[in-house]
Amino acid sequence: ICSSFLDLVKKKLRTERRGIHVDQSDLLCKKGCGYYGNAAWQGLCSKCWREEYQRARQKQIQDDWALAEKLQREEEAAYASSQGATSLGPFSKFEEKKTNEKTRKVTTVKKFFSPSSRTAPKKESQDGKTPSPSISRQSSMETDRVSRDFVDFLKNLQKPGREIHKQCRAFIESLSCKKDLSADELSECVQDFYQNMSDRLMSHFKGSSECVEQVMDQVEKYIMTRLYKSVFCPETTDDEKKDLATQNRIRALHWVTIQMLCVSMDEEIPEVSDNVVKAITDIIEMDSKRVPRDKLACITHCSKHIFSAIKITKNEPASADDFLPALIYIVLKANPPRLQSNIQYITRFCNPSRLMTGEDGYYFTNLCCAVAFIEKLDAQSLNLSPEDFERYMSGQASPRQHDSDAGWPQTGPAPSTVATNTALAQLHDNLEALLGLSSRQENLMEAAQSLQSDLVSWQESVQQEVKDILEKYPLEIRPPAASAIDADNVENDRLPPPLTPQVFAG
Amino acid sequence: MASGGSGKTYSFKVVLLGEGCVGKTSLVLRYCENKFNDKHITTLQASFLTKKLNITGKRVNLAIWDTAGQERFHALGPIYYRDSNGAILVYDITDEDSFQKVKNWVKELRKMLGNEICLCIVGNKIDLDKDRHVSVEEAESYAESVGAKHYHTSAKLNKGIEELFLDLCKRMMETAQAEERLKGNGASQSASSRRGVQIVDDEPQATPAGGCCSSG
Repeated sequence: ICSSFLDLVKKKLRTERRGIHVDQSDLLCKKGCGYYGNAAWQGLCSKCWREEYQRARQKQIQDDWALAEKLQREEEAAYASSQGATSLGPFSKFEEKKTNEKTRKVTTVKKFFSPSSRTAPKKESQDGKTPSPSISRQSSMETDRVSRDFVDFLKNLQKPGREIHKQCRAFIESLSCKKDLSADELSECVQDFYQNMSDRLMSHFKGSSECVEQVMDQVEKYIMTRLYKSVFCPETTDDEKKDLATQNRIRALHWVTIQMLCVSMDEEIPEVSDNVVKAITDIIEMDSKRVPRDKLACITHCSKHIFSAIKITKNEPASADDFLPALIYIVLKANPPRLQSNIQYITRFCNPSRLMTGEDGYYFTNLCCAVAFIEKLDAQSLNLSPEDFERYMSGQASPRQHDSDAGWPQTGPAPSTVATNTALAQLHDNLEALLGLSSRQENLMEAAQSLQSDLVSWQESVQQEVKDILEKYPLEIRPPAASAIDADNVENDRLPPPLTPQVFAG
Repeated sequence: MASGGSGKTYSFKVVLLGEGCVGKTSLVLRYCENKFNDKHITTLQASFLTKKLNITGKRVNLAIWDTAGQERFHALGPIYYRDSNGAILVYDITDEDSFQKVKNWVKELRKMLGNEICLCIVGNKIDLDKDRHVSVEEAESYAESVGAKHYHTSAKLNKGIEELFLDLCKRMMETAQAEERLKGNGASQSASSRRGVQIVDDEPQATPAGGCCSSG
């Protein structure tokens, strides 16, 4: 046993040593080209990795291409049945539009030379950015799924479905040719496409806006899933810079409390804090969606949770006076990823009928307000003195720390007093609870001690009792009586005398 | 911005502006739910409410946007009232300050949106007439001077609210119809009716600017 244990220790030591020690050969490129490799490049040197990566990428592109072709064939087949029917009147105008688009292309060539377009560095950085082929693989799977759904949906529409599909494909292709468009121009194109499509659908469905909306939702989903990668946070804009700025801004405002914003949500109530957590999750989830409408839905879900939290706290329906501060608080707590990019993306590419008057549009507008407020937030908007605001922003003091320094909330600005009060109240509550606990423990100890003494005395009393009884009834050990068979025979006397042996002479 | 191609259904956006405590929420809850300070209000929120109306055979979808009335959110106003067809400016007749706020809003709205927006100035809480601090004459003459209509309401007593919204809808319909006529009811209205919400508020109004495929 001892030796096997030693072996084990030795083994362990060896493996530990191996962790520190790196063999020279481990550092070299796996391809054996003699240069040093890097773990980030899967053990290859930079040159070999680039070659390997290019090859994977090339293959990826080919795969995608094959898949796209396959899909198209499927789509063609799907419509083969409905083909032969007369093409839809209103859609014929699309051809006209296409030529318009072509003429426009000429003007965009000029764009190429304007300082705003940066196509050359863009390509390089894009290559550098894409971390691994597997990610694009995944997203292309999603695109395929959406395409299939779209085709399935359009099948039900029969005749016009094919036209819609054709127009959407033509539109996507025409956009993918125009890489050098600015974000606003892209948005303009997409919005014009929505408008024309819905106008035509409107005349086809004879004014039934519900049908049009249904189709437009699908069109938006299809187009935007396909375009997402090229139009979300494009290089031609400063969206990314704004994202970072907002993120840093929210980080710098980490000290803002719920009281400073006068939010009517009481997080002490478990149901409320539950809703707050859900709202935060929803707003963070927005970044993971691709379709503008899905992103909007995340904002709406978030808002609904905020309303629930307010309604539970105040027991009346939330007004905008309650809602906006609460939303600001949620945004500050969540610090949602790529917030500005997402807002810009929705603004540029969402079907406008949702953004204008709908409920989703209202919540989206409030989110825009919340972001604008956070950007411009100053001492006045939190009812703080400029000095305090500066100190909190620079990190020299935090509202909570400030309170503990002051010791007691007699000094200091009003909002921090409020903050102190709640903190103190909590402390007080905790202390009271602790006091109660300690008194209960004392009681318990007393009870335990008395139980112990009771036990001792009970033992003594039992012993005493036993002793008493023993004394009262001493144990007499009688010598065992004669063990004759008839020893116990009481009526011995009455028995005839035992026979005596008689000797007969004879 | 009246959507609904053939003019069968109008969709209007109306913003509700006014200081906190003037009764914006009560007003809109009374209109949409016919309840006042009621424990049994079913709606989760009173910040975005819709109402469907039928006015002289035309369907109207009304979306009422409540805005945060606190002073510190004043600067966010333009984000809220962008693209709205009407604005209801509420003040409390017992509170002189709230009327002053309404005047500021009117100035701002006229500056930003011009005459396209229908303005309603609403003196709320007329059930507290004995504590009135804003005179009827002053309020009405002011409203007239800025091309707005004035209404007296009480959310508590349910007075004047139905009239207020009905009147506003009729005016918005007239404005929308006039606009349609002006534009020849063509497809060209697309450019101006698009462009929903943007957070950059100093950007000029979205101009058609020869969009990539502006069909004639």
